[in-house]
Amino acid sequence: MSKSLLIISRQAPCSGPGAREALDIALAGGAFDLPIGLLFLDDGVFQLSSAQQPATLQQKDLSANLQALPMFGVEALYVSQRSLAERGLQDQPSSLAVERLDDSSISALIDRYDQVITL
Amino acid sequence: MATLHVLSHSPFTDSRLSSCLRILGSQDALLLCGDAVYALQDGSAQRQALELMPENIALYALNEDVQARGLLCPTRLKQVDYPGFVALSCQYDKVNTWL
Repeated sequence: MSKSLLIISRQAPCSGPGAREALDIALAGGAFDLPIGLLFLDDGVFQLSSAQQPATLQQKDLSANLQALPMFGVEALYVSQRSLAERGLQDQPSSLAVERLDDSSISALIDRYDQVITL
Repeated sequence: MATLHVLSHSPFTDSRLSSCLRILGSQDALLLCGDAVYALQDGSAQRQALELMPENIALYALNEDVQARGLLCPTRLKQVDYPGFVALSCQYDKVNTWL
């Protein structure tokens, strides 16, 4: 039985490689049928914004890769309710179907997984 | 001596923006670029703080970073491009970049 891995992604999409690397780990794990969870926390919630135009900065669109997560079998997708609210994003549409969790649910989530990595 | 303060880090993950707003001089200006433009996120306390800044303090945001993140710039801030960024850097006596 393979160990389950929770990836906590807390970097904004345009600021550096962190967001993409977290997503790559999730997709790679999904491709190997590992039980993967992905949690968007802090500035990581900006990755879910549907109005991004990264081409303005000569960058690739991360949200296209996000859509691939369910196809790679990564369906345990979560976002921090508090991080959304702090950024005024609680009513904005998300580019991906994610489950909103409060702080105590996040601590229970981390508890459920065998391994956790935060990027 | 007027200073242009340049912020490039997300205002949600550290205290640069709030510190900067507290210590801005009456002739100073603030330019947001990179992830600092997330301060323009509608509904956030950071945007409210920017909109409440006295009128004499000039506030700028780098246009392409605003666009890339899909944000809408409130009218309180002027949007500049890179040549505008350079012009501002020359216009002020000094530039303080909050690295």
